[in-house]
Amino acid sequence: MTHLPYIVAAYVLAVGMPVVLSVEVLFRVRSARRRLQAIDTRRDRG
Amino acid sequence: MDARSSVAPPRTGKTLHRFANPGQFLRTSGKVLPWLFWVGALLTVAGVIWGLFFAPDDWQQGDTVRIMYVHVPFAWLASAGYFSLAACCFVSLVWRHPLADLAAAEIGPVGAGFTAICLATGSLWGKPTWGTWWVWDARLTSVLVLFLLYLGHIALVRAFDDPTRGYRAGAILALVGVINLPIIKFSVDWWNTLHQPASIGLMGAPTIASSMLWPLLFSAFGFTLLFIAITIARTRAAVMERRIRSLLMARASSPGGEEIPL
Amino acid sequence: MTRKKRRLLVLLVCGIGLGSATALTLSAFSDNLVFFVSPSSLAKMGPSGRQVRLGGLVEQGTVEKSSGGQAGARFKVTDGNASVLVTFKGILPDLFREGQGVVVLGVDQTDGVFRASEVLAKHDETYMPKEVADALKKSGRWNPAAGPPPPASTWNQSATKPPG
Repeated sequence: MTHLPYIVAAYVLAVGMPVVLSVEVLFRVRSARRRLQAIDTRRDRG
Repeated sequence: MDARSSVAPPRTGKTLHRFANPGQFLRTSGKVLPWLFWVGALLTVAGVIWGLFFAPDDWQQGDTVRIMYVHVPFAWLASAGYFSLAACCFVSLVWRHPLADLAAAEIGPVGAGFTAICLATGSLWGKPTWGTWWVWDARLTSVLVLFLLYLGHIALVRAFDDPTRGYRAGAILALVGVINLPIIKFSVDWWNTLHQPASIGLMGAPTIASSMLWPLLFSAFGFTLLFIAITIARTRAAVMERRIRSLLMARASSPGGEEIPL
Repeated sequence: MTRKKRRLLVLLVCGIGLGSATALTLSAFSDNLVFFVSPSSLAKMGPSGRQVRLGGLVEQGTVEKSSGGQAGARFKVTDGNASVLVTFKGILPDLFREGQGVVVLGVDQTDGVFRASEVLAKHDETYMPKEVADALKKSGRWNPAAGPPPPASTWNQSATKPPG
């Protein structure tokens, strides 16, 4: 009575959610920092 | 229009206001963020591999019990995330803390995502053990209500042209929804539910073998640190985005042209 | 300062009001929030012809798997005080066994037989490896049919060392 598909699906979802959120926020921070540096002359932020 | 007033409140020397300074927040959080993220990732990987390959089978459920190592941390974080969202909303309503507004708006989507995974993994666990994907018992229904509260907060915060009104409306919704947290926690004790009661509590001995408890603690702690790291990183992005907006607005409204003194 | 204190006070008063209103509502409707009824309360209600969920333990020694072509079973569901005879046609969940908690959906017929259309297995909050369960049963410290196992902190005294 193995239920491997259920277990694998649960682990894929659980590990996938933090990965997706981390990658999303990485791009968001990078683009915000780039835009900020382009318009802000001060260098002490970020 | 003074661009600076919206991004850097005056330093009054009070503890709360020192943290309210977005520049201070960016500097401090930038230092701890890599540690939070990598320690969290390491613990999560360790807990997941331990739970998936090395933890023992359960005497009743066999290897289906391995879903516990991912379901339970997400269930805890669904509630804990909502609690932190409500705490930010409380601080925002009482002290008008600008950083709390941004943090609350960024916790919402992360919490909703984690709650969705809690529901999905629970469903994947329920089918082989209970014999059904879903039942309308008090525990499952109250967690679904929690998910809807997250969605409501996400929508309400972004529904107004004036962000301050959105934050205010979202904060009230979030605080009203706090009543759901004790209902989730105690639903399995107060009413007959298909969902089993908690195995680990503040009172009473745990009813889980230590060879199963340790991988659970590793993955729970790891996912918690990842949740915190993701939320802080999103809040950092939001602080920078707000600063960009106010700089652009100041530039557009300043009569002189390109360079404005900051 | 006073405005902050006033906002704090307003929120606290609102919170207390909302909390007590919810508590009153939940206690008033608590009968309807119950996912299943026990055999004792089903006996008190009497056959209504309506669909109900019945929850309890599968009584020891009462399970008769149907021998015919289709899958099915007859068994008694008990809560210690009363027991109800249940018939079910269909595939039982993996966790179904004697002494196991189950929730069955069906109609209580006038002949005293509960005709179930769905059987769900409940599992309890105990998580233990197979070796521990076997060791506890072998040493006579726990009978799964008789009640919950002893606390987890005492398991390793009799159990084999967990692998890994």
